[in-house]
Amino acid sequence: MAKSPPEPRASGTNRIELSLPSRLEYLGILDHLVQAIAEQMDFDADARDAIANSVIEAATNAVQHAHQHRHELPVTFAFEMKPDVLDIWVRDLGPGFDLEEVTSADPTGPEGLLRSRGRGIFIMRAMMDEVEFDIHEGGVIVHMWKYVVPQGSPKA
Amino acid sequence: MKIKQEAIGDVYVLRLSGQLMGGPDADSVRETILSALNQGYKSLLVDLKDVSWVNSTGLGILISSHITVANNGGSLKLMRVSRRIDSIFMVTRLNTVFQVFDSEPEALASFRSDSESSKSREN
Repeated sequence: MAKSPPEPRASGTNRIELSLPSRLEYLGILDHLVQAIAEQMDFDADARDAIANSVIEAATNAVQHAHQHRHELPVTFAFEMKPDVLDIWVRDLGPGFDLEEVTSADPTGPEGLLRSRGRGIFIMRAMMDEVEFDIHEGGVIVHMWKYVVPQGSPKA
Repeated sequence: MKIKQEAIGDVYVLRLSGQLMGGPDADSVRETILSALNQGYKSLLVDLKDVSWVNSTGLGILISSHITVANNGGSLKLMRVSRRIDSIFMVTRLNTVFQVFDSEPEALASFRSDSESSKSREN
């Protein structure tokens, strides 16, 4: 089970936090921030895009499914920049969901390919090194991370 | 997201800009596609050059549009997709669903080629 995000600490740590109202039109702001954080950590262009795509998917799920576009409900983000890994948490206040049910269908298979929904978690898992879900009645925390140097590469 | 539209010969071109992410975007794209079909266009081309990113809901909009056009006897193709969006297409295997072109001349030529193939099959 994913750990809850640590409590906010004093400035000077490599942690950035953000709270956004549940509005899809604010995802562009989020995207710029994520790209800037990833660039700060010297991720290459493909990795920056992968990270941004994944965070956008987590945010989209929070806004559309967890919060049902209720603007007053915040989606909160925490980004922790460590020497070898970017840790990201995305938290919503929704009712939770059945992870197994939501991810049971393969969106790349013959039956799923032309479905208009059901790709968000798949994209996150494909583009990040790890994705964990802490699901409970009070909300969901998605914890995902990406290594600066891909694991298994000669430089790792 | 904004949509500009123009007809180039028999091809109806939708030029999207901004982000394709669901919400009102879905309605805008659907209405534009239906309008084009109602005007008799069967060849629709979506220009994604100025689309910075697409989320999974945006992918759903493209898929629905693709299906709607196909069900009306036409074809919908994409062009000038960014590397970022292409990476999503690859991961989700939607690169096997959509025909994607790097340039407008190539994309337009593909519709002409489809039309010629169709005519030769009828003869």
